[in-house]
Amino acid sequence: MTPLGRCDRTGSPAQESTTTTRLDEVPAVASRDVAITTEGLSRAFGDQPALDDLTIEVRPGEVLALLGPNGAGKTTTVRLLNGVLTPDTGQARVLGLDPIADGDALRHRTGVLTENAGLDDRLTARENLLFTARVRGMSRGEAERRVTTMIDRFAMGDRADDQTLGFSTGQRKRLALVRALLHDPEVLYLDEPTSGLDPAATREVVALIDRLAREDGRTVVLCTHFLGEAGRLADRMAVLHRGRLQAFGRPDDLAAELWTGLEVELDLGRRAAASLLDLLGSVPGVGAVAPSDEGAVVTIDDRARVPGLNRALVAAGVDVFATRPRPPTLEDVYFAIEARAAAPTPLPTATAAPAIDEVDA
Amino acid sequence: MNWPAIRAVIGKDLTAVRRSKAVFLPMLLVPTLLLVVLPLVIGLAARASGGSGAEVSGLLDRLPGGLAGPITSRPPGEQMLLLVNGYLLAPLFLIVPLMVSAVLAADAFAGEKERRTLESLLHLPMADKDLFVAKLLGAFVPALAISWIGFILFAIVSNGVAWPVMHRIFVPTQLWMVMILWVAPAVAALGLGVMVRVSARAQTAQEANQLGGAVILPLIFLAMGQATGLLLVDLWMAIAIGAGFWVIALWLIARGARRFDRDSLAAMA
Repeated sequence: MTPLGRCDRTGSPAQESTTTTRLDEVPAVASRDVAITTEGLSRAFGDQPALDDLTIEVRPGEVLALLGPNGAGKTTTVRLLNGVLTPDTGQARVLGLDPIADGDALRHRTGVLTENAGLDDRLTARENLLFTARVRGMSRGEAERRVTTMIDRFAMGDRADDQTLGFSTGQRKRLALVRALLHDPEVLYLDEPTSGLDPAATREVVALIDRLAREDGRTVVLCTHFLGEAGRLADRMAVLHRGRLQAFGRPDDLAAELWTGLEVELDLGRRAAASLLDLLGSVPGVGAVAPSDEGAVVTIDDRARVPGLNRALVAAGVDVFATRPRPPTLEDVYFAIEARAAAPTPLPTATAAPAIDEVDA
Repeated sequence: MNWPAIRAVIGKDLTAVRRSKAVFLPMLLVPTLLLVVLPLVIGLAARASGGSGAEVSGLLDRLPGGLAGPITSRPPGEQMLLLVNGYLLAPLFLIVPLMVSAVLAADAFAGEKERRTLESLLHLPMADKDLFVAKLLGAFVPALAISWIGFILFAIVSNGVAWPVMHRIFVPTQLWMVMILWVAPAVAALGLGVMVRVSARAQTAQEANQLGGAVILPLIFLAMGQATGLLLVDLWMAIAIGAGFWVIALWLIARGARRFDRDSLAAMA
């Protein structure tokens, strides 16, 4: 599925309306309701733009997924937001602070899990944490108490006094996450938190992040190319491609921007005959119709059409085993955006199509 | 300056170095060989020579009177001890602060890139200048400490082994004092300055050490020159050489400091 611009789920161009909405258009939010805001943030390395004209806003307590392939600009974004890199143009504010002018003050209030954990393998887990705590301004006693508390909380006591050289990738990520949380940061940047982890460790880390975000109400910026964890954790997502923001919003809203209608799978016990496809096509609200091994796949303009569709089939004497609305997954949305980014076309236009969360309610 | 953070970085770096045999052992072995084993062997050899100064007379003949005078005026049995432990080892001693500061600086600067710990360090609330000072002090102070402790051991060994011959304390000489208090810190700073610059380009501590090795060679040639009488280092020349090292070192460090900023470091991380 490679929709170019706004399409219905069968790939047909959707009807344009007079209302044009960019996917990366950001609704105005009062400054007190914003944890992170960027405006035209750009940075290049040599001739290569790493981030180009990024404008987003992240609300307090929100989990934002920065999605994109390697080299999309996710890590550069985190570095710019934490004042580690200086933008070429544009500006950012995090917790009301300028990351460049107020870098140290900001970094006291943010925590970062870098992609490669960044632990000194010659130190023990406890020493790695104590070092960070001391640099973050805790007294020796306070640092020791806090580190012990966090080690207990994250169940790392059995390895606390081992050098991290022998740690598994999962243990390293967990320790790096503990380090990022030592000072109870208001904003947490997580750069590929599950890369290199086995499925069990991935599930554990994702659950941990979910808990941290939901229970503690932190603002989280999650850089990932794993759609599963983004789907589970993120409130909104920003899709980057070669440094350019391709889409920004809730996955459901982005899907609604990309496609009209709702795909429905009809399990009729066998492949639908041509006459049955004609019947389906004549039901009010049904758009595209296609046969499938189980029966047929139709596109309807509203979830409310499903009962009528069932009634029409039953009235025609067709056995209906199941009717399954199939809203687009995050994966569908992401790859549609990526495909559009790879083959740029004029920006899509919005229609009155229902949001996916409405049709799938 | 954020001294608690600076102390934390220094403490972390030194703890890590202590646990790294590849870094720590050479820092112990080279000073031990140069400042303990070598004077001990020479002292024992001088004692075994039974008071004959013939072994060193050829060399002393080639030295100018001003430098050879204090040696030739002593009894023949003391001449070798005076020449070697009192004079010839002094420039060689400079290898110790140079090597230690260079190795530690390479580990502190390029090593962070090699271990991929640089980025997490840059995300900490620590000003660029504090981080730079921490990395400098973390190499400079141990280099000086090892040099000075090494010299104390050298003085104990040299005087102890020579006592049956000399019957007096002959180390430190004036030249040694200049070397210890003036030239050695300058050389340590020079090693740092070079490593700060080299580490900006090197991706690993080993690569930085190899590039920085170009610095240590002139010092070794200086020592060899001293030993063969080709290059004479008297007191004033030692002071002048020390001043020259300080100027170059401070220039290199100042240039390194100007380029030491988060943005540049992150771009390399």
